[in-house]
Amino acid sequence: MLEIENLSCGYDDHPVVHNISFSVNAGQRLCIMGPNGCGKTTLLRAVAGLLPYAGTVRVCGKDLKSISRREAARSIALMSQITSVYFSYTVYETVLLGRYAHTKGGAFSGTTEEDRRIALDCMARTGTLELKDRMITELSGGQLQRVFLARTFAQSPQIILLDEPTNHLDLKYQVELVEDLKAWTANENRCAVGVLHDVNLALDFADTILLLQDGRVQAFSPAESFDLAGLSEVYQMDVGGYMRRSLKRWE
Amino acid sequence: MKTAAKMSVLAAAALGALILGIGVGSVFIPPADVSTILICKLFGLAMPEAIDPVYPALVFNMRLPRVLMAFLTGAGLSVSGTVMQSVLRNPLASPFGLGISAGAGLGAALVIVAGISSGLLGAFLMPTVSLCFGLATVILVVGFATRLDKNLSNTTIVLTGMVVSLFLNAIMSMLATLSPVNAQRINLWTLGSFAMKEWDQVAVLAPVTLICVLFFLRYAREMDVMTFGEEQAQAMGVSMKRMKWLLISAVAVLTGAATSFVGIIGFVDLIAPHVVRRFFGASHRRVIPAAALFGGTFMVLCDLAARTLTAPREIPIGSITALIGAPFFIYIYFSGRRRR
Repeated sequence: MLEIENLSCGYDDHPVVHNISFSVNAGQRLCIMGPNGCGKTTLLRAVAGLLPYAGTVRVCGKDLKSISRREAARSIALMSQITSVYFSYTVYETVLLGRYAHTKGGAFSGTTEEDRRIALDCMARTGTLELKDRMITELSGGQLQRVFLARTFAQSPQIILLDEPTNHLDLKYQVELVEDLKAWTANENRCAVGVLHDVNLALDFADTILLLQDGRVQAFSPAESFDLAGLSEVYQMDVGGYMRRSLKRWE
Repeated sequence: MKTAAKMSVLAAAALGALILGIGVGSVFIPPADVSTILICKLFGLAMPEAIDPVYPALVFNMRLPRVLMAFLTGAGLSVSGTVMQSVLRNPLASPFGLGISAGAGLGAALVIVAGISSGLLGAFLMPTVSLCFGLATVILVVGFATRLDKNLSNTTIVLTGMVVSLFLNAIMSMLATLSPVNAQRINLWTLGSFAMKEWDQVAVLAPVTLICVLFFLRYAREMDVMTFGEEQAQAMGVSMKRMKWLLISAVAVLTGAATSFVGIIGFVDLIAPHVVRRFFGASHRRVIPAAALFGGTFMVLCDLAARTLTAPREIPIGSITALIGAPFFIYIYFSGRRRR
């Protein structure tokens, strides 16, 4: 569904990601992990088509470079960390904007009945329906992130990319967001790729882990056989020991 | 209140301001007479005898073109301001930040100082030169910003616009200082005026404003998406670079056309979008027509104040927009905040 071949990218003359290849199949949830500055976000931005890159990114069989941004947006969506909102749209208007890439033809054409139905459906799915007429400028960080998740779902992509989507969210919302995403990838022809920092949350979310170090793939393995030793090496700390100490506190 | 009802109130206010603007002056024409004259002329009917025979000529040759120029300028500047704030995702952005006013100002100053005149262009010489300078400045700013930053990010545009504007303003001040005879004319031009406006100028500005407003309405949804940030907008399917070029070019034409005829009139482009968003929400499908109506009405009333408060002397319109606009804006903006 998402194929990445020999991808290298970076900023200006400063390469960050070197020659990475991997693929994500339908139903799969991949988590990219690694220390700060190892190239996780850069990799995700290149895959979303926001950064120039060398190599090939194929989205649902099509080369990302050969399709328009609008066409790409119908297959692949990106959800970033919460950004500040300056303009007072209602929650419903915001979610409905997710349908932008699907609006057809006519210069002054607006949203269709189907667009509105999908938007309401995605709001129900993320528990934001009761916020429908509220202004997004008045929402809390957690509410806003759920609204953005609804908007991402409304884009009806087959692939969702997530860049630290749980930042600024409290524990309950973090778990709920992960559950929403699992439910979303479970029933249809879809997959998700996320960057998550919390190891426990990452293992809860993903069925496959991609471990990056200095812009290169260190490990690519199923979540159940994920090796803490590899993580300890990459982070240069005893991750297993830290986890056990944390757990002991609750025993 | 429903959007349609709010829009009707705004349209009625605009019509009221136009009639008032036409009626008030050295000779007062009652609103009823103004309406009768307009209706008769519009539908080709004979003027009723009750109307003073001097009025129709006064309305058509003097007052109406001036009031229409004020309305069109206000509408154009407000819509341009709305678009710039959304495109640059900055509530303090304004079309003048792109260097349009500085460029147009320099063009006008050059014409004044050099004392050039052209038989072919006549009264259109100064507007033409200042429009060309204004547009050239925008091309310079955006072109330079693209060279500096391939992605054409908002901060680069804002910073480049600011630096180029300051640079051109400095040249203009030098011209004014070196040519003391013309300093006052240059100074007055930079404060704007609707005096001596005639139909041939309305005939240029009206279609430009109408076409640009329709053009912006066409891209209302794209602008909605763009307000959520460059990355999000691209990931949602908007090609940002192309869209920025398109919208900024149209803003340059609209602001440039208005500025070249009437000089630099600040403030309305900054406040109108904020006031309108307070009542109509952020969706550009509502904000753009509302900003045009509000901006036009505001400018007609400001011009009315400019020519009546200290009659027969006129106060520069640029000072009036700020004098009335600043307290009005603070009231609207902060009263809304407190209620939340």
